[in-house]
Amino acid sequence: MKTFSQKPADVVKKWVLIDAEGLVVGRLASVVANRLRGKHKPSFTPHVDDGDNVVVINADKVVFTGKKHSDKVYYWHTGHPGGIKERTARQLLEGRFPERVVEKAVERMIPRGPLGRRQMKNLRVYAGAEHPHTAQQPESLDVAALNGKNKRA
Amino acid sequence: MARVKRGVTAHAKHKKVLKAAKGFYGRRKNTIRIAKQAVERSLQYAYRDRKNRKRNFRALWIQRLNAAAHEHGLTYGRLIDGLNKAGITIDRKVLSDMAIHEPQAFAAVVAQAKAGLEYLKDTTPGAFEKAVAA
Repeated sequence: MKTFSQKPADVVKKWVLIDAEGLVVGRLASVVANRLRGKHKPSFTPHVDDGDNVVVINADKVVFTGKKHSDKVYYWHTGHPGGIKERTARQLLEGRFPERVVEKAVERMIPRGPLGRRQMKNLRVYAGAEHPHTAQQPESLDVAALNGKNKRA
Repeated sequence: MARVKRGVTAHAKHKKVLKAAKGFYGRRKNTIRIAKQAVERSLQYAYRDRKNRKRNFRALWIQRLNAAAHEHGLTYGRLIDGLNKAGITIDRKVLSDMAIHEPQAFAAVVAQAKAGLEYLKDTTPGAFEKAVAA
């Protein structure tokens, strides 16, 4: 018997909708990352994009535990000398693109590489409650119900 | 007796090496000195990876079984524990294949595993309910 290998042509990608309001960032991101990679499917195949499309709404209403809201720092380097920049989680969440908090958290949980970059494109994060994917009829997934620690008041 | 010259055997040997080096990158595929080194190393990798293949596949079956177990509210570890306790000795390869192609048969096996987990009722209160949460 040969071990099953999912063929890219046979992949059926579902659409999943997650309301991120009040969810803990890292816990949400790990659920999303697993979905994007297809690790929730018995047919998981490491070299094939076998995951779902995930739509996250209310991404600006995610929560951090402890002091991370004010103390967690995101760094990046511009490439110029002395070009290291930083923003705290709070600054990002109150800034123009609050959805980047969730995007970054998921991105860091996806393996880096061509496949990982492709799978990141299957993630759509929106700050508000609106999303333009109603035509895809996404199935809503209640992350808070999966584990009592996933949601903070 | 005819004089033996070395060109013929050398050419035969080189041909053998270069054949094995087909598809290699750059000079590795057509320069005998470099191709020889590359082929020797490739055989070492092949030897090692014939063993690694067995581990890699087992790891993949386990990842798939974990996904399948979660669909039934179990974790991989609890599934395997339950199967052992229930005396079911289907290996991971067949189980993971069943989970993909025969979901109903797999569900029946999971049900037996859950029955096998009933020993948890005698341990910590609530442990069984937590383990088989749907």
